[in-house]
Amino acid sequence: MSFTLRSVKVAPNSASLEEARTRVFDFFRSACRSIPTVIDIYNLDDVVSPSQLRSSIASQIRKNSHITNPKVIDMLLFKGIEELNNVAEHAKQRHHIIGQYVVGTGGLVQDLGTKDQANSNFLKNFYEGNYF
Amino acid sequence: MGLGLLASRALRSSRILTSPNPRNTILRQIVSTPELQNPEAAQAQPESSPPDLPHRAPVAGARVHFSNPEDAIEVFVDGYPVKIPKGFTVLQACEVAGVDIPRFCYHSRLSIAGMKIKTDTPIAKKAREGVMEFLLMNHPLDCPICDQGGECDLQDQSMAFGSDRGRFTEMKRSVVDKNLGPLVKTVMTRCIQCTRCVRFASEVAGVQDLGMLGRGSGEEIGTYVEKLMTSELSGNVIDICPVGALTSKPFAFKARNWELKGTETIDVTDAVGSNIRIDSRGPEVMRILPRLNEDINEEWISDKTRFFYDGLKRQRLNDPMIRGADGRFKAVSWRDALAVVAEVIHQVKPEEIVGVAGKLSDAESMIALKDFLNRMGSNNVWCEGNGMHPNADLRSGYLLNSGISGLEKADAFLLVGTQPRVEAAMVNARIRKTVRVTEAKVGYIGPPTDLNYDHQHLGTSPLTLKEISENRHPFCSTLSNAKNPSIIVGAGIFEREDKDAIFSAIETIAKNCKAIRPDWNGLNVLLLNAAQAAALDLGLVPESKNCIESAKFLYLMGADDVSLEKLPSDAFVVYQGHHGDRGVYRANVIFPASAFTEKEGTYENTEGCAQQTLPAVPTVGDAREDWKIIRALSEVAGARLPYDTVSGVRSRMRAVAPNLLRVDEREAATFSPSLSKPESRQEISSEPFGNAVENFYMTDAITRASKIMAQCSAMLLKK
Repeated sequence: MSFTLRSVKVAPNSASLEEARTRVFDFFRSACRSIPTVIDIYNLDDVVSPSQLRSSIASQIRKNSHITNPKVIDMLLFKGIEELNNVAEHAKQRHHIIGQYVVGTGGLVQDLGTKDQANSNFLKNFYEGNYF
Repeated sequence: MGLGLLASRALRSSRILTSPNPRNTILRQIVSTPELQNPEAAQAQPESSPPDLPHRAPVAGARVHFSNPEDAIEVFVDGYPVKIPKGFTVLQACEVAGVDIPRFCYHSRLSIAGMKIKTDTPIAKKAREGVMEFLLMNHPLDCPICDQGGECDLQDQSMAFGSDRGRFTEMKRSVVDKNLGPLVKTVMTRCIQCTRCVRFASEVAGVQDLGMLGRGSGEEIGTYVEKLMTSELSGNVIDICPVGALTSKPFAFKARNWELKGTETIDVTDAVGSNIRIDSRGPEVMRILPRLNEDINEEWISDKTRFFYDGLKRQRLNDPMIRGADGRFKAVSWRDALAVVAEVIHQVKPEEIVGVAGKLSDAESMIALKDFLNRMGSNNVWCEGNGMHPNADLRSGYLLNSGISGLEKADAFLLVGTQPRVEAAMVNARIRKTVRVTEAKVGYIGPPTDLNYDHQHLGTSPLTLKEISENRHPFCSTLSNAKNPSIIVGAGIFEREDKDAIFSAIETIAKNCKAIRPDWNGLNVLLLNAAQAAALDLGLVPESKNCIESAKFLYLMGADDVSLEKLPSDAFVVYQGHHGDRGVYRANVIFPASAFTEKEGTYENTEGCAQQTLPAVPTVGDAREDWKIIRALSEVAGARLPYDTVSGVRSRMRAVAPNLLRVDEREAATFSPSLSKPESRQEISSEPFGNAVENFYMTDAITRASKIMAQCSAMLLKK
């Protein structure tokens, strides 16, 4: 299996935080550009919109916004590029994408109703189960 | 220091002191001290006062010397008091008392004095090995398929003391198995003839069904004729059998004892609160065994307690359900079920709301139910079995005031409208023990019944009671001659119309025979159900006597035996409980709750001792603990109860009945009855007393769902 982007060489280490920052933005742009292809090859039209995927990618990047060491940023960047390659090469399956980027950590079933909001913690726990 | 050493010291010193003047042998060392006499012993043998006895000289001039007066103890030989030093053998005591016991090996001048006892020499070990070899000679080598395997006394002892090989090459004997009924499985080939079961049956259970037949190698345990063992305590022979000859039939081949998890909890099938251990494997209760509690059940439990557990697996309610228009139940979510009930409860008038706690309710759920209904504006809440006008003012009016172990001090019993053998088997065992040891007299008023001790059947109706209270009955003299008379009243009387009149007659009797004194309270009420005492402590007393007739909203918290015939047909019934039993037939909504094996709950037994259950297995399906359901419903109904945790409920209980938090402690009633109580205007009716318990084996929702209990009712109840 030949991955097209694998021919791209690993970039030398970022000299400064500025350089690392620029690279992250470059990575984000290339990820955004691949979104239409990804939606196409994984048949995600009816479950997610491009903007949702974009914000999902952005939130993944922002999760590491506190990191200031350029070496660590380079490492995370490398992991991100690798993940993007795998996604773009269809090395994943549909449920991987849905699980990781569409549903996210919130879980599949989300009770978004307002009926329990006025209830006490006791009643919420009571509906969950006997042991609390 | 062994007994022999003490005895030798006493003997040696007496020889040194007395040998110079042998004339002194006439001087008797026997001192009679009537004030030291045990009152019970004196009561049992009032004719054996010392002066009536013939003068007895110690055998062969035996005499004793007390190096330390504190070491003297008094024993009675043929009713004759003798003072002997501590450490004397029975044989020596008899000698001092002047009784010659025939013997060959013992001689006072030969070595027993100064005997050196060694327990770990090769000879001792060899001797034990020999005994083990004899025991194992005819014992089958079927430990791998024996239910006793792993908790077998013989197995343990043969591991500890036995030889590593046997020399017995002949055929082992085999014994035909006996059919003892649906509870006890017999493999009589395994029997080592210890006769523990025979002695248990005749001494504790009071049935003469078991015995030893044959002699020598043909000796075997059996019922003399083909007969089932019809005792309510028969399951205890399983525990006392040291080998696997008597094992539990329902438990046979179900589990090995080392895979079981033991949970120390209490029994709730009657008001005794027997201490039990629930052995469970995963989510399943595998068996129930007794725990030692000298004050309550000693080390026995009744067959109902031991074998009802299969009822926990049948007829369970595991989802909230609403009855649809077609009359069928449909499983719904908790949210929907609570919403429906909360809506209905607001559509009825407060006085039309009625709550009934069931027989098996714990104190936590009962206080929550009462608090909830009070917040809804109703005070019609009670516990089934307590009747519609219970006397909850004085605790002495509904407790077993002498205590279960205190019954052993009694020397005359009057049982009024109660059959303790079926109502509280462990209390009955205690009465039997007392009757057997002290020959206490028992009078019984009630329908003809089978008590397993000597008793006089005085009558069947309260009129007999009236005769006794007016001193017109021959049993009066027995009661008034007794030192500690004990009157036991059955809780079945709570349901009678003339309850107050009966109780005032009983109080008159108690006054006449001085049953209530500072040192002895002999006026006892024997309750029927585990929930009753705590319900009365918490004040679950209905406001109106005929609230069922006018109820529009009925909350049954595990109440299956409350009569619903008079309930209006348009009343809305909520059943909260763990079994689909009688209460469910009329219910509109079902809330599934946890059984006592699955929750932590406080129960008070008939003598006023609060005890707690512990969860042994997880709860079934979508069920919740009782108090949590009521707490959740109160919030949905807009009258939120102020506690979220079990400790919160308990601090509320502390405010109402602090004794319920003093677990494992008996809290006796402070005031005696007849204290500033209004005179009853009722007339005693001549209607005879009824049976409070029709079927010993099936008294509540769990036992009625049990297959083993159904088998017992079919085979063992006398028709």
